[in-house]
Amino acid sequence: MITRPMIAAVLAATAAVASAAAGPLQVTSSILVESRTAAADGTTRIALVKPSKVTPGDKVIFVLSYRNTGAQPLANVVLDNPLPRQIAYRSANPGSPAPDVSVDGKTFGSLATLRVRSLDGSTRAAGPNDVTSVRWRLASPLAAGSQGQFAFQAVLK
Amino acid sequence: MVAATLAHPAFAQTAFAQTAIAVPGRPAVGTVAGTSIVNTAGLRYDLDGTSRSTVSNTVTIVVAERLDVALVRDDHDAVVVGPEPTIIPLTLTNLDNGNESFTLVATVSPGGIALRTLVIDADGDGLYDPVRDLAPVDGRTPVLAPGQSIKLLAILAATSAAPVTAPVTATLTVTAQSTTGSGTAGATYAQAGDGGSDAVVGLTGASASVAIPLSTGPAGPSLFKSQSVRAADGSQNAVRDSVITYTLEARFAGAVTGARIADPIPLGTVFVPGSLTLDGAPLSDAADGDAGRFDATNGAQTGAQTGTAQTGVAQGPGIVVALGQVAAASVHTVQFKARIQ
Repeated sequence: MITRPMIAAVLAATAAVASAAAGPLQVTSSILVESRTAAADGTTRIALVKPSKVTPGDKVIFVLSYRNTGAQPLANVVLDNPLPRQIAYRSANPGSPAPDVSVDGKTFGSLATLRVRSLDGSTRAAGPNDVTSVRWRLASPLAAGSQGQFAFQAVLK
Repeated sequence: MVAATLAHPAFAQTAFAQTAIAVPGRPAVGTVAGTSIVNTAGLRYDLDGTSRSTVSNTVTIVVAERLDVALVRDDHDAVVVGPEPTIIPLTLTNLDNGNESFTLVATVSPGGIALRTLVIDADGDGLYDPVRDLAPVDGRTPVLAPGQSIKLLAILAATSAAPVTAPVTATLTVTAQSTTGSGTAGATYAQAGDGGSDAVVGLTGASASVAIPLSTGPAGPSLFKSQSVRAADGSQNAVRDSVITYTLEARFAGAVTGARIADPIPLGTVFVPGSLTLDGAPLSDAADGDAGRFDATNGAQTGAQTGTAQTGVAQGPGIVVALGQVAAASVHTVQFKARIQ
């Protein structure tokens, strides 16, 4: 069995130094890798840690931690993460809501609804490698002081 | 990482701006070592009825250099070495996602055949040009770009004229290792990679080796066919319903791939179902998972075949046994039975 502990503790360290945005909505972006350790009960425990060495083919986890540091609720919160071009999208990280994805940066939806146009004008179903951007929308206003986290798995091309 | 990269930081920067460029004929080695992966998220929200937008922090990771290499022989024929130089072409490929040079070591053991030299085939034509094709300086190749291949030529000669009846066998071993480091996959050389990245030993161990069996004896495979007849009365008379057991013994001096033994069923006889064996183990008649089959319709040609070379021209229903990869100095025996009509 594989357990995935909350990663908030890991992120706390980076959040302290990394919040660049001024304003009530603070978002911290992290690129992490899985660290697997065998627990005493025979299960495998996965922690997310800062990568020391990432090489092509390695799985990386992009984590966006958000928090409303203001005194009022924030409505229509949207987090948008264009992928670095060396990164291939794979899936939502377990425990995270699935993002809407886009293959052109304009149209967002679930991967199954997207198509890619080829040079000859024909289209085909989009695959994870076609994803260029991911996006999450909060369905309800983010109350003052509340926070959350989105994460997706990707592979270094 | 290699010295040449350090000496030209401006050039290196240019290279690092690129990522995973597909060069025709080169293996994909992934994002180039030293590339910075930069991520920033954008965010929007409404506060007091006003839409606002801002960005997250920017996080950067630097792609490490994965040390990997491949070394393969270009052909797979048995190598017979005489007093005249014999050339064995090899291909070395930098599977690293960074620039790398490789240390080359070549040895022949136990002896009887000597390695004259191991050179880099400057024009890649597989032919030895003593003027242009030179041994690597200090046993190291030039710096190879990610995915780049070069041809090597091992040049061998027998040290004395061994009699054909007692050929000398030896093994040529050529090894290439990443100069940055090699060893257990996952081993890390801090900041030794391109662009100051860490270098990490990949799945190949950053080392590749080929062992090539050599012989001073006859080339290629040979096939000996014999038969024995057993009649219903226990005699060896070749009469109707007598069963002929055919034995095909294939001898391979050197290692080969794609070896295949085929033999047609003689006219006037019919194949005895289920009688095909390879080295004593039964093979089914169907064209299925095992190495052998009986082909009732299509022409089988007699011979032990490797690659495109084959002997014999007879056609008709026959047996086919695919040996595939065959070790040097090995013997394989195929048997089948046919009934006289």
